Amino acid sequence: MKMVLSQRQREELNKAIADYLSSNGYMGALEAFKKEADMPGEVERKYGGLLEKKWTSVIRLQKKVMELESKLSEAEKEYIEGAPTRGKRSPTEWIPRPPEKHCLTGHRSPVTRVIFHPVFSLMVSASEDATMKVWDFETGDYEKSLKGHTDSVQDVCFDQTGKLLVSCSADMTIKLWDFQNYDCIKTMHGHDHNVSSVTFMPGGDFVISSSRDKTIKMWEVATGYCVKTFTGHREWVRMVRVYQDGSLIASCSNDQTVRVWAVASKECKVELRDHDHVVECIAWAPENASSAINEAAGADNKKGAHVGPFLASGSRDKTIKVWDVGTGMCLFTLVGHDNWVRGVVFHPGGKYIVSASDDKTLRVWDTRNKRCMKILEAHQHFCTSVDFHKTHPYVISGSVDQTVKVWECR
Amino acid sequence: MNPAATPVPVEDVQGDGRWLSMHKRFLLEAKEKEPEVIFIGDSIIQQMSNCEIWSKYFVPMHALNFGISGDQTQHVLWRIENGELEHVNPKVIVVLVGTNNFDFSPEEITEGILEIVRVIREKQPQAYIVLPTLLPRGQNPNPLRERNSKVNKLVSERVTSDSRCEVVAIDKGFVLADGTISHHDMFDYLHLTNLGYQKAFEPVYELLLQLLSEGEKEDDANTISE
Repeated sequence: MKMVLSQRQREELNKAIADYLSSNGYMGALEAFKKEADMPGEVERKYGGLLEKKWTSVIRLQKKVMELESKLSEAEKEYIEGAPTRGKRSPTEWIPRPPEKHCLTGHRSPVTRVIFHPVFSLMVSASEDATMKVWDFETGDYEKSLKGHTDSVQDVCFDQTGKLLVSCSADMTIKLWDFQNYDCIKTMHGHDHNVSSVTFMPGGDFVISSSRDKTIKMWEVATGYCVKTFTGHREWVRMVRVYQDGSLIASCSNDQTVRVWAVASKECKVELRDHDHVVECIAWAPENASSAINEAAGADNKKGAHVGPFLASGSRDKTIKVWDVGTGMCLFTLVGHDNWVRGVVFHPGGKYIVSASDDKTLRVWDTRNKRCMKILEAHQHFCTSVDFHKTHPYVISGSVDQTVKVWECR
Repeated sequence: MNPAATPVPVEDVQGDGRWLSMHKRFLLEAKEKEPEVIFIGDSIIQQMSNCEIWSKYFVPMHALNFGISGDQTQHVLWRIENGELEHVNPKVIVVLVGTNNFDFSPEEITEGILEIVRVIREKQPQAYIVLPTLLPRGQNPNPLRERNSKVNKLVSERVTSDSRCEVVAIDKGFVLADGTISHHDMFDYLHLTNLGYQKAFEPVYELLLQLLSEGEKEDDANTISE
């Protein structure tokens, strides 16, 4: 490292050297040095011991830096591993913990949705930049961009095998993608406005979509034809999700309701109203969440137990509600987010709910106690989406800050 | 007829069509973005979007900024009559315009502002309308300062009948004891610095917080509704 001294610093250094020579009795060297450095006369008092002082202070500071660094790494370790260590963690207990494992950049507009691939260590992010990007969530590597939509991509979904991907967009189309060679194999037209959400039916033969045109449509994958239309919502439908057995569809809307539809009859079975603002997102509870939900709802005796199916919904009223779809009852409300709730997903172990919000955080809720047990200051801007891997210890989040983050669970 | 209260587009004197481009962008944003708060007005509104308080206070509220530099009351009137408040359902609309109405009397400017309020009320009956006061301008005392404060007085007197329309005083603390305005608050003695925005819009922020949380249930960690 080459150090450059200013004129003034050089003079100070010379004087400090002269003082050092004189105070240590190196008079010959001092005389020669004074002559060569063009520095006649006595050296002022204030330079007394300066060189020694600097010399020792460098070492003292170095030591201090090392101390602080080791303290920091200890604090970091505590912060990261305060939870059970990697070996001890259990898949039913693990939850995402900061800091993020990867922060993935590349999108040029807000990220609207993030999802895990059901088989490979891949994930897909959708963005208002009209593309989808494929990433390896373990290594953080960028794999591929899927281009074809001409406006904001709003939602994406894999079929159970992970061989097919479906996407929908503000360009009013739905596209099917062969995920083995990343080709767009079909484009489906039929909605009259922004297509807000899309999902596969369990068998993979049909796709369900929802739109700002207030309808929900069912499409046959083989032909690309629209085979059913569900009408009833009075406003923009924000999200649509199919129940595990394929018999029911849940949807949520700007009309502040959640509706549940029978797939076979296209009939609206139940209308869930309790939110005071647009309902942004919904998630069906897995089978193993039933006991925690029942405890949270206060149903301790067996005869009064709620049987479900259960559904969680997140709203611009800042709350998350959990519903018994069988009875149409709101069982409990999770309050804590300071802004719109944009994403909600059940922990695969069934005990927790994870949510994403415009308050820039992800929150982990302990369902049984209806309590927020962890807040992750996740992004610089609104968090728009969150997904939990079914078997691996990972959570992913997307944001208006254009990044995608991967969180490891412990 | 009062030209300050008669909608008219800005004449494209420079020839690059920017005013209309901005208006068209606002139409698109209105259609897509679902704002809860809309700020509309002149450069004082427009420049706020590059400012600390905008990202810190107003972006989290889901606000949109429809400010255009140089706009006078009649131009804002034209914009809201031509679509900027269609396809939206905001809870609050903040209007700040009038300081650019040169050669207009305080009475005319007041009428212009009241006409804007009337049209907004017609298009967005549910929305609160917030009117920050016109700011003082010029390093030293001058007729435009007096005109602006006269407008503020007149507007405050006239809007009292509408319970969902509120005037917020944001003009205090800018004129110093010796009658001057500091460049630390207004770098060109008209437009605000970061510090100036903080000073002026803090009261607006406080009011918006209240208006937006109105009717929300009190925080009860474990509400159970059955």
